[in-house]
Amino acid sequence: MSHHEVEVMGTIVTFDLFDERGFLSSALDVAYADAARDLKRSDEIFSTWNPDSVISRLRRGEVALAEVPEEVIEVLDLCRRASLMSAGWFDPWSAPSGVDPTGLVKGWAAQRALVLLERLGARGVIVNAAGDICVSGSPDGVSAFQVGIVNPFDTTNLACAVRVSGGIATSGDYERGEHLFNPFTGECTARGASATVSGPDLGIADALATALVVGGREMLAVIEGIDDYEALLIERDRSWALTAGFDLVSEVTL
Amino acid sequence: MKRAIIFSSATVAGLAGVFGFHTAPVSLTLSSLGSSAGAAAPAVGAGVTSTTTRASTTSTTTAPPPPSTSTTSAHRSAKATSGTTTPTRAPSTTTTVARTTTTVARTSTTVSSAARSAAGEAVNYYFGILSVSVTVTGSKIDSVKIAQINDGGNFRSQQIDQMSIPILEQETVRAQSANIQSVSGASYTSAGFVMSLQSALKKLGI
Repeated sequence: MSHHEVEVMGTIVTFDLFDERGFLSSALDVAYADAARDLKRSDEIFSTWNPDSVISRLRRGEVALAEVPEEVIEVLDLCRRASLMSAGWFDPWSAPSGVDPTGLVKGWAAQRALVLLERLGARGVIVNAAGDICVSGSPDGVSAFQVGIVNPFDTTNLACAVRVSGGIATSGDYERGEHLFNPFTGECTARGASATVSGPDLGIADALATALVVGGREMLAVIEGIDDYEALLIERDRSWALTAGFDLVSEVTL
Repeated sequence: MKRAIIFSSATVAGLAGVFGFHTAPVSLTLSSLGSSAGAAAPAVGAGVTSTTTRASTTSTTTAPPPPSTSTTSAHRSAKATSGTTTPTRAPSTTTTVARTTTTVARTSTTVSSAARSAAGEAVNYYFGILSVSVTVTGSKIDSVKIAQINDGGNFRSQQIDQMSIPILEQETVRAQSANIQSVSGASYTSAGFVMSLQSALKKLGI
């Protein structure tokens, strides 16, 4: 086991490595530093809070797409893909203030950090970016990672636990208030209380979770049709629904 | 296209906290809580709290005490620790290791079956300073609570604390029973929480 935290993107991102053989501390230092540097670079480019970031300048029209770093092109491509997959429920171009990939960037950045940490060759790796989680390998070489999902009505409790092999993201306004934007109505309202999406790409899962909490059961039906992505929607009336392949370890308890 | 969506109404959760995946109590599997390099803690005031056994783990719904006065400048201390060490884990049995005085700074450890508790060191975290207290039976964690928190009175940090600290408390207890490695939702303050917890466990010889 090795555990590390990075303060970045206004939160803490944690790295956990699982390997009973132990790690060379010099190798750990290098990998942690690389992963942290990459997260900070992602934040510098994509922070919509920072007026000097590339994305802020792009939103103000001060910089052209031809001039931006390749990461911006990559993220915008991923946004386009997520927008299509979500049937428009995730739409970074619908924000009145200009293109806003925030709903996807945290997951995308965490996944880049994961790739850098994988170089250490540990049996299992977890990156948790304030609740958006991506994993590779296994905690013990055999079993899958299991992740708890917070109960949105009682954050002292978990609603359930789920097996995860790629990424898992949870979105809900119980955490940060009104940040969820409905691209069809222009309103900042979420239908669901909490939405969780798992799948191979954490950036996509992050975007789909944002779409799901905004779009509710309509969006859940969309995700049911997407291969490899699974979802759990917890409604404001405490009912819940999930796609057939959502790999629950426990019952949902609210 | 894949399968059908599974719908279900929420069943009444009663006193909650009861999960179907409570496996047989395993020895400490705080895998999500990693191994931060908590500083060796002086063994002070490990007051014994005689709590009942862990029936409902939901008893940790403690509101953090209101912050006393402080400035926000105390926040951003570097606490990024690259813990390469593996914390020593006490045997999961409830044997009494009589006065094992180890060569390390750790004082004599007595692993008893009675519930014991200790407070961890106050640690800087991203939004302020906190310390946790932990209650264990043998080497098994019964509950974890915030003993002290000072987030500088900042609105955003208070908001985050209120959301994430209960989750961390819960995560700690759950982690050993449900074998969860991480929590999806809000987990902002994990860093300081883990460090303080580690030092509290050290005091208890775990």
